[in-house]
Amino acid sequence: MLDRPLSPPPVEVIVAVTQALHCEARLLDNEDFDGWLAMLDEDICYRMELKSRRFRADRSPPLPVGPGVIFNEDLGRLKLRVDRLKSGFVWAEDPPNFIRRAISNVEVVARPAENEVRVHSVLIMHRNRIDGTTRVLTAARTDLWRGEGQAWLLVARDIVLDHSVLPDSNLNAFF
Amino acid sequence: MRFERIGREPDYSRYMDLKEGWLDRRIFSDADIYEEELYRIFARSWLFVAHESQIPKAGDFLTTHMGEDAVIVARQADGSIRVMLNSCPHRGNKVCFADAGNTRRFVCNYHGWAFDTAGDLKGMHEEYCYDDGDIDFKNHGLKNVAKVSSYKGLVFATFNGDAPSLEAWLGDFRWYLDMILDNEEGGTEFIGGCIKSVMSANWKFGVENFIGDAYHAGWTHDSGCRSMNDGMPFPPIDMENSYHASVNGHGWEFGTEGVGDLVLLGRPKVMDYYNKIRPKMAERLGEMRSKIFGSVASASIFPNVSFLPGISTFRQWQPKGPMQFELKTWVIVNKNMPDDIKEEVTKGVMQTFGPGGTFEMDDGENWENCTTVNRGVVTRHERLHYRCGIGRQIEHDTLPGIVYRGQYNDANQRGFYQRWLDMMTHDDFSKMPTRPEPRLGNVAETRDLPGLFAL
Repeated sequence: MLDRPLSPPPVEVIVAVTQALHCEARLLDNEDFDGWLAMLDEDICYRMELKSRRFRADRSPPLPVGPGVIFNEDLGRLKLRVDRLKSGFVWAEDPPNFIRRAISNVEVVARPAENEVRVHSVLIMHRNRIDGTTRVLTAARTDLWRGEGQAWLLVARDIVLDHSVLPDSNLNAFF
Repeated sequence: MRFERIGREPDYSRYMDLKEGWLDRRIFSDADIYEEELYRIFARSWLFVAHESQIPKAGDFLTTHMGEDAVIVARQADGSIRVMLNSCPHRGNKVCFADAGNTRRFVCNYHGWAFDTAGDLKGMHEEYCYDDGDIDFKNHGLKNVAKVSSYKGLVFATFNGDAPSLEAWLGDFRWYLDMILDNEEGGTEFIGGCIKSVMSANWKFGVENFIGDAYHAGWTHDSGCRSMNDGMPFPPIDMENSYHASVNGHGWEFGTEGVGDLVLLGRPKVMDYYNKIRPKMAERLGEMRSKIFGSVASASIFPNVSFLPGISTFRQWQPKGPMQFELKTWVIVNKNMPDDIKEEVTKGVMQTFGPGGTFEMDDGENWENCTTVNRGVVTRHERLHYRCGIGRQIEHDTLPGIVYRGQYNDANQRGFYQRWLDMMTHDDFSKMPTRPEPRLGNVAETRDLPGLFAL
């Protein structure tokens, strides 16, 4: 993948994709999950891999079935998660938690196709839970977005969570 | 090895009456009781430290904790496994900050003291500064634990030189453990990595949830179940043909319908796989165990390991203070499964009982809030109710252990706290009661037991 394009993508593309990222964060903060699902491509691949702390000079080979994943979701699985959240039976989210996402470091780095862009971004998620405790999670994301008519759709998202020990009891949120 | 503590010796039997069925809330937050647990339970029990498959080759290692003590688990050149304190004998710093890997040496960051994977001191930075007689290399290695042993792939260690053999410690619980560790030729392995998360809850709440609390599932996990199963709530429990079984504080609650947990895993290919091997499993473990495996079930090994046999999540609740634990989770699979089935299991585990899983996400808040609310200075003096199913004990021809009928029960929880009390009150390990008297005796292999094929 070409990570540093010789010429930057058109400003209109950068603006549109950045706006899409901000819009997505706002929809999720407002629990407008249907609005969020509408921004996803039907072939969405949504992943968060596990990371472990290893010595830089570690000699061991990679794990045979991979390092494991926390999320490895397609559209059906993401809809299932949304259905769960909307079921009215998620006691841990009622009254609702306060979640706020800040998106930063947006960098459009490549155009694999005329209507596609690869985008790096950083997410800071603030969660204030029903018992009043607050947790802050940060993550890096590498996305593939595709322009379809008037809209940009999220086709793939790789999430790298910056915590070797999750500082919270669950990851009941979309990143 | 003896661990002396200076201070008051409270009468722990005041904190519960398990014949009546109540617990004192203070055991979930009191700092003195917690310190005593570290000495009397974690420094004296056999504790799970690794699965053999995590460190297959010489030089492979991982780091973990026994109680709050940091340890390294390392595979030796001769194939044996050593467990040693992850603390330099010079100033005490950790000598290994990696989660896992392969190495020849552990080197302390502070003064460069270097140890081989057996823990022997091999050298240090500017070695000339030590004169003759200053240091005896032989006595300044990483402190090894008293005993290391493994049962069908699970490696346990103990700081307690007086501990009974691991087989005796697990006792008749091996009959149940074999359902997850030995249901197919080839045994098991951990795949993928380890997920760690921190919860602000007492470690016992995690253990007791898995040891017997089928009761919470239909309510706590209602949203997860409905979303995974087209809006259907949990099916009703068959109270006639489901059980609690408790052995020395270990416990397994289970149905006998064979499919409930496999349905919850939500991966049809995995269900197909187990259905295919089930006749062989029946030959191997007997009809009864082949019917228990895969049913709605959960289990804990005393003091701090839990797993779901059909769903394949395996976990450890590491104490980090009276009101905090670190949860470590792995995926356990049969070694002889084809790779695509292993991947299906991994996906299923993460989607259900990973930190982002549709079931796991409901549990943490409950345990955290039980812990913090129980601490209230007035609240802590109120008793907690643990009496469910207290009259339903039965004798069962096939099932070993203290057996209660009906999966919705507090029986295994009571068994767990009985063992907790036994360990908190007995100085002499050899005088501690065995609950119940073992059936298996010294039989090493539960597959060879008579009466196994009875129903």
